[in-house]
Amino acid sequence: MTARLRVENLSKSFGAARVLDRVSFTVPPGRFLVLLGPSGSGKTTLLRCLAGIERADSGSIHLGELPLARGRTHLAPDRRDLAMVFQDYALWPHMSATANVGYALRRRRLDREQARLRVERVLERVGLSGQAEQYPHQLSGGQQQRVALARALVAEPGLLLFDEPLSNLDADLRERLRVEIATLTRESGATVVYITHDQAEAFALADEIGVLEGGSLVQLGSPEDVYHRPASPFVARFTGLAGELPGELAPGSAGGAACDRVAVRTAAGVVTAVRGDRLALTDGAVRVLIRPAAVALARDPGAGSGSDGDGDGSGGPGGGPAGTVVDTAYRGRGYDHVVELPGGARLTGIFDRRAHPRGARVHLLLDPEGCFAFADPRPGRPAEPGTAPAPAPAPAARASAADAAETDPVRTTLEVR
Amino acid sequence: MAETTTATRPPGPDPAGADPRPHALAAARLRSAARALPWTLFAAVLLLPVGGFLLVAFSPRLFDQGGSWFTLSAFRQVLTGWTARALVDTCLVGAAAAVLATVVATALAWITERTDLAGRGLWRLLLWALLLAPSYLESLGWTWLVEPQGVLSRLLGQDPAVLRGLVFGPVGVIWVLASRGVPFAYLAVSALIRGMGREFEDAARTYGAGRAATARLLLPILAPGLWAGFAIVFAESISDYGVAATLAAQANFPLVTGAMEQSVSTFPAQFQLASAMGWLLLGLVALALLAQRRSMRGRSFTVLSGRTRPAVRSRLSARGQAAALGTVGGFFLLSLGVPAFGAAAASLLPSGGRVTLSALTLANFRQVLRSGEMLSALGYSARMSVITASAALVLGAFAGRALARRGSGAAGRLLDLLLLASIALPSVLLASGYIFTYNLPPASELGVNLYGTSTLLVLGYLAGALPSAARLLSGSLGQISDSLLWAARVHGRPAASAWSGAVLPLVAGSLVWTWLIAFCGTLLELPVSQLLAPPGDEPLSVAITRQLQGYDVGSGAAMTVLVVAAALALIAAALGALRLLLPAAHRLEAVA
Repeated sequence: MTARLRVENLSKSFGAARVLDRVSFTVPPGRFLVLLGPSGSGKTTLLRCLAGIERADSGSIHLGELPLARGRTHLAPDRRDLAMVFQDYALWPHMSATANVGYALRRRRLDREQARLRVERVLERVGLSGQAEQYPHQLSGGQQQRVALARALVAEPGLLLFDEPLSNLDADLRERLRVEIATLTRESGATVVYITHDQAEAFALADEIGVLEGGSLVQLGSPEDVYHRPASPFVARFTGLAGELPGELAPGSAGGAACDRVAVRTAAGVVTAVRGDRLALTDGAVRVLIRPAAVALARDPGAGSGSDGDGDGSGGPGGGPAGTVVDTAYRGRGYDHVVELPGGARLTGIFDRRAHPRGARVHLLLDPEGCFAFADPRPGRPAEPGTAPAPAPAPAARASAADAAETDPVRTTLEVR
Repeated sequence: MAETTTATRPPGPDPAGADPRPHALAAARLRSAARALPWTLFAAVLLLPVGGFLLVAFSPRLFDQGGSWFTLSAFRQVLTGWTARALVDTCLVGAAAAVLATVVATALAWITERTDLAGRGLWRLLLWALLLAPSYLESLGWTWLVEPQGVLSRLLGQDPAVLRGLVFGPVGVIWVLASRGVPFAYLAVSALIRGMGREFEDAARTYGAGRAATARLLLPILAPGLWAGFAIVFAESISDYGVAATLAAQANFPLVTGAMEQSVSTFPAQFQLASAMGWLLLGLVALALLAQRRSMRGRSFTVLSGRTRPAVRSRLSARGQAAALGTVGGFFLLSLGVPAFGAAAASLLPSGGRVTLSALTLANFRQVLRSGEMLSALGYSARMSVITASAALVLGAFAGRALARRGSGAAGRLLDLLLLASIALPSVLLASGYIFTYNLPPASELGVNLYGTSTLLVLGYLAGALPSAARLLSGSLGQISDSLLWAARVHGRPAASAWSGAVLPLVAGSLVWTWLIAFCGTLLELPVSQLLAPPGDEPLSVAITRQLQGYDVGSGAAMTVLVVAAALALIAAALGALRLLLPAAHRLEAVA
């Protein structure tokens, strides 16, 4: 039943506001695509277009060979062979858990006994055998979400849609349900489109991540691609930064047009960074965007004799910029630090197993792989420590359940529909 | 991963027609206008006649009602003499009734919401009964009780002249209007009291405030509810016709609505005067609503938040319980019990002779049932009410849905405005407008021959019933999240089956309630019936009030008792059936 989802040039406007602007992507059968974007980026509208709740102005959607929307044709939601988990769960309050799940199975026209068995099995699979006859209002938030998940899975649809299903849950429950969604959907073999504004959730779940900005799909790739090669400052910021350093290209420090690294002179010293898309070597003002995972505290700050400004950012211990610890937060496995650099920029979420007290002078090691240089359209703007989203765990070291509870994901405001 | 394409903005020509349609915006506007069209048409049929009627006060020549194109003489005439007196009296009576109703309702709401008073379900039920009973029924109950040769005088063997003096005068009028207004004020205040939590009280007490200081602190928090209650009761009272036509008329205590009805139904009809009075009435209603809105301006009293816990009911001591029961019971005794007793006694008493227990007779009931007059009136009114209630339900559901989605554009805002306007329009004004406009030569020239037909009566009823039906339904329909319906669609149910499976059970309770309220309200409706009933068909309320005019008190009372009993039986049957057929709906009932 699983099928390829193909979206081509999908556009949608509400009045004068363009919420989807020629979005195209393909999800191969059985793959898990996460669409990531802040509120107002159009991800909910995109999902509702896929479900058939919203009618796109132009473009096409195909599920396998079946056109869901193309030109003037618009297949009704009930004829699209898909299932959806809603942000508010949308459980029918007058039906028990069993009835809710069973209602979604009616499309398969099974006989009564078969249907009963199937509902029983899927409820057991989500761990709700004991609550099968309870009504939604008698269930906890997590249990309600499990019923919604069971309801989506029971008819084994070809396409599963998830509309920020974890956003109403607390951190611990969110992580547990995240694991269940990841395993159960992959077991079902369905093609999945999942939207969220939480980058940690996106990285943890996705086979592919699409980043939406202002109704456009600005990057689509594997989680590793998006993390290590963000297509724009927006993508880099939205997927988690420790901070930003304004500066300018150090002349002659880059290895030529073919080389993907550049040296940037900042107030905190010279920093080597990956050359971002569309950064010309003639560009003057540059911003270096730094991933939290790319920053480490030098083991032995005392050994570093390097004066500020002469490090190349990629050297050995003590070769990076120096700064002052302004905050230390205990995180169980170790400590997160906020370090203020010369020039006033702050880097947040710098992890070390050892605590460095507030006010201590430290030397930082910057991994060029996690530093991205983009042209700065508004040079001279000071770094804003508060604007960068909270750091995400690097995909390489994916968070355990306990970690997810520690790191606060980006919380944006209500999704505008 | 390799299979995933990253074609976000293909440079080449666009195969799927991605060109943003230039006329999309215009099309959207057109769709929005098309959505508004049915409502506009409907409003034209329902409200435009009132507009024409209101114009005649300024420009009688426009409608062949006088010589001048623009004049204020009607206003001059209305603002002198007995109509001026009626206007002042209406204002005073309305204000007094509103104050009284707000005070009583606040006390009732506090007792029923914040204490463990016994029989809370019964009290709420009685409030609903009070809300549904038309004002002239309460007036009639009191009248039958205190009139010369009435129930009291025959039971006691002595004329209750002092009590009659009170009832047939401002005090009686104010009391009947106030007690009728209490349910409205209760609805406005009780939600606030329920949601307020105990935090404010506890905080005040913690900082050393005594009982009086705490009350002073809480009153401003309750202010929005109190103002809303006052405004609603004032508007309802001054536009009430039932009391004006019964108690006030007998007491020679003219009120504006009564005066309007008189000007319209005398021959030749003085539409110009009635129209001027309509303006003044409308002005007063608008003033009340404006005062309420002003009192809210710049203040935010969001006392309901996710953090507020429902207040714990305070436990009443035995003495407190008795006092509270006495207060609540006393109110309902005076507002429902006494008039009900008056009606029941008047219907059971023999037409003459000494009154003893053994002399009580069912002769009046027998006569009513045998005469056929009452049965035909009941049959006629029931037919009209079924049509009206069903139409109000269907149209109200659509309007309510549009209202709940307010902000969805011009259509929603327009509808909101229209409904507000027709709620604020007194029924007498509405009915006068219909008589006037549909009687004009252009109406028949256009082929609209509604004057003197049952269709016009139903339209009049509908104009009265639709706004409240829409409001009631917008509440419960607005609570139904869109995603419930979409969830059913997405999981494979076609539109109709998705609605009936996922939404209908949740709103069935409100639908039944709305229908019942519209039905009962129409069954005993007086002002529109009085003015718009077609010749040859007599609605129930007209038959009952006609019999009150003296010639057969016993039959009139028996008729009233029978109709009220039948209406109560219908409500009980409908709610029982609902409970039986839709147990889940009962549990989740939004209204009640």
